[in-house]
Amino acid sequence: MKTKTEGLDLEQVILKYKPVITFRVKKALGSHGPDWEDVVQEILSQAVQKIQSGEFRGDSSAGTFLYTITSRRIIDFIRHKTKVLKEAPEPVPLADPYKDAVERERSEMLASALAKLKPKYREVLYLYYYQELSRDEVAARLGIPVRKVSERVNYAQKLMKKLVRK
Amino acid sequence: MNACPFEDQIDRYLLNQLSGEEKDRFEEHYFNCAGCFEKLAGRDELVRAVKRQGEKLVRDLAAGKEPARLSVFQRLLSFPALKPWAVAAVSAALVLVVIFGLIPLLRKEAPPRFFLNDEGTVRGESLSLVSPVTDVKTAPAYLEWKKLGEDVEYKISVYDNKLLWTETTLKTRIAVPDDIRSRMTAGQKYSWEVRAFSSKGILIAVSNRVHFRISAE
Repeated sequence: MKTKTEGLDLEQVILKYKPVITFRVKKALGSHGPDWEDVVQEILSQAVQKIQSGEFRGDSSAGTFLYTITSRRIIDFIRHKTKVLKEAPEPVPLADPYKDAVERERSEMLASALAKLKPKYREVLYLYYYQELSRDEVAARLGIPVRKVSERVNYAQKLMKKLVRK
Repeated sequence: MNACPFEDQIDRYLLNQLSGEEKDRFEEHYFNCAGCFEKLAGRDELVRAVKRQGEKLVRDLAAGKEPARLSVFQRLLSFPALKPWAVAAVSAALVLVVIFGLIPLLRKEAPPRFFLNDEGTVRGESLSLVSPVTDVKTAPAYLEWKKLGEDVEYKISVYDNKLLWTETTLKTRIAVPDDIRSRMTAGQKYSWEVRAFSSKGILIAVSNRVHFRISAE
């Protein structure tokens, strides 16, 4: 059932923004344990409630509206968690064997895809992301123009995408 | 296709090199720009995969460099029209190039000076930690230590009563990720240490384990 409020289709909003909210929350809270999932749900609920109540009328962009809710919720959560952890240590999160297996499989797929890349791509990825050299430093080290560094990183990403899809 | 001006910040964001307002602005941006977010999410997975692989990514590449010089040498010597003095000069120059190129391979790595201290722990060269080494007001944003030498890889480990986080870097400073910092609480005691490895993966130094507390509010 779709609810249209001031031209905003709620289901579409949720579908469109859930990945970016999830990404931001996972980055702040870590992807292990149930915390990030709960926080994402709370953010979506809050957003839906604000749209339904008319509190958000589309005067700022939907992205900024959701970014603001997300940022505040992350800060509140961390603050609350800090207080809670003062009293008692954090319980070990329950292992989820299915999720762990899925994650492990994905990591293995990525590792084997990386190994399949030609040396010139692996070199650039290693220097740029593992050693964290700047593009200029990578270019100097490999004796290639700076723009080639970006080209190779971008192309490596495209190749990885193809390799992992198989 | 026109590139979004924020695209340049994707890598810096993923390597925790953006901070403060710049970071906030970028985060707000990717909530509004589907193109940047898609690129960011894909790039994030790639960066994580590269960091997990580390040295393994390029292990096979170090081996393959020397033969090219010898084949150039061979090719030059077989060129028929060269005058004898030219051949001698070129051969001499190439011999020197080959010798100096091979010296790094022939020189054995000096063995690290290790000894067992009273606690039965291995200690070698001294690796000094710079920050944090005393109590701090908030969870540290960075960990920093003294440089040990060239071509050294550092492995950092942070503990509460168990291992909290570990990471490797070639720099002498590392940003503590947001999700780790958010788990560090006031009043708690933490410790960290750094291990140094040579480019061949040999352990050459271990720092002391330094304790610090985040001051209670």
